Amino acid sequence: MTPLTALLSIMFFPAGLTLILSGMLYEWADRKLVARFQNRIGPRWFQPLADTIKLLTKEEIKPQGLNYILFYGLPIVALTGALTAALYAPVLGLPPIYSFPGDLIVTLYLLSLLTMCTGLAGWNGSSRFSVIGATRSFTQLFAYEAPFLLALLGPAMAANSWVIKDVGVYAQTHWMIFTQPVGFIIALIGLMGKLELPPFDAPEAETEIVAGALTEYSGRGLALFHIGKSVELVVAISLVTAFYLGGIGNPFLFLLKTSVILLMMAMLQSILTRLRIDQTVGMWWRFGALLALLQFLVMVLLKGWLA
Amino acid sequence: MNISQNYVDQIIQKISTWARVNSPWAIHFNSGSCNGCDIEILATLTPHYDVERFGIKLRGSPRHADVLICTGPVTRQARDRLMRIYEQMPEPKFVIAVGSCGISGGVFQGCYNVEGHIDEVLPVDAFIPGCPPRPEAIIDGVIKLLTHIQNGTRPALVIKPGIKEAV
Ligand code: SF4
Repeated sequence: MTPLTALLSIMFFPAGLTLILSGMLYEWADRKLVARFQNRIGPRWFQPLADTIKLLTKEEIKPQGLNYILFYGLPIVALTGALTAALYAPVLGLPPIYSFPGDLIVTLYLLSLLTMCTGLAGWNGSSRFSVIGATRSFTQLFAYEAPFLLALLGPAMAANSWVIKDVGVYAQTHWMIFTQPVGFIIALIGLMGKLELPPFDAPEAETEIVAGALTEYSGRGLALFHIGKSVELVVAISLVTAFYLGGIGNPFLFLLKTSVILLMMAMLQSILTRLRIDQTVGMWWRFGALLALLQFLVMVLLKGWLA
Repeated sequence: MNISQNYVDQIIQKISTWARVNSPWAIHFNSGSCNGCDIEILATLTPHYDVERFGIKLRGSPRHADVLICTGPVTRQARDRLMRIYEQMPEPKFVIAVGSCGISGGVFQGCYNVEGHIDEVLPVDAFIPGCPPRPEAIIDGVIKLLTHIQNGTRPALVIKPGIKEAV
């Protein structure tokens, strides 16, 4: 791969512009579905785009008493992390353009970077709401990260590889939603936790702590965090789809499968209420982590027995 | 060079106005209202009226908001808070006064603790009359404000919503 094609792939396809635009479309679909579940009409299709452009053209207020390197740097790092993760993920069902042994772990860490940056941004803030939001973000991160990791390690284990591409190819013939249903459910709910969607939106509970960690951000910083989140939505959904619902393959079928996952997420979002932070942590460690571990154990034993 | 520069500026201006008109995020502040207007604003935000179809969203933080929706007269105690919230909002920002009290002081006019109406404290862009105004009137006022942002004109002093009474 020459430097020019690498640059093009980062700027336009599959990362960069395409990914940002498709992230906005996914975000719109999610909001529209939730609205339809609540018997509303819902936002227009360009709503996330208008929100983002508006935020980018607004004034960026500089609060007093912060570390300005962190204040300006964190949104950029968050977005970069999410976009870099896209290089290793099977976006749109196409094989990832880069892959190396162990890229699954790297991708998962890159996906957590957004939450880490949000938390740090809140911690850096001088407002009490952002500090409480940051604490909740971090607490929740520790809750769902391990079960989510275990849920994605299951398919990797079955495929005998740590490379996303290989797992995707293996999954073409093995639909792991049937062989590992527990893992799929944990991955789906972990996805909602990762994106801080209801019922896991305690870190940005607007009725209690205004807007959580991002309370002090306005204009550009907020826009970058928003874009980062919608990019992460695409990347994480593609990962779960590729691992559990038939691997990498036909883009149209893949799009359909991601829409099914989005539909399920929207349904869960609209029927569940927000969990308290201790309930979130308790649920993940008491049920999520244990179930994931149990499935993992069964797989290890089966593998040993079959071999 | 100069002409093309001008052209680019115009396009950017157009795009940002389009985005601004299509995604007004609001924050709501009660500076001394009797709560009637606030309940109507909350009713406006319910699924029945669904303001998300215009892109309107209620945000908790003034840093995220574009439109400040004020209700009620300004009491002496709330005056400082109202101004501080207004100053915490990033430019460009707009103010909407909801209810007769916000327009003139209403029934609270001349009270010992009331400073006056909202226009005495902040530059108001749209007034929505009514005691309290119906949700339809509030939506109509916001949409009128948006049309004026789109055309680049300041709204007229009083916006009179011409709603038909829903039976
Ligand atoms: S306009 Fe009427 S409802 Fe609104 S604050 Fe004044 S008295 Fe209350």
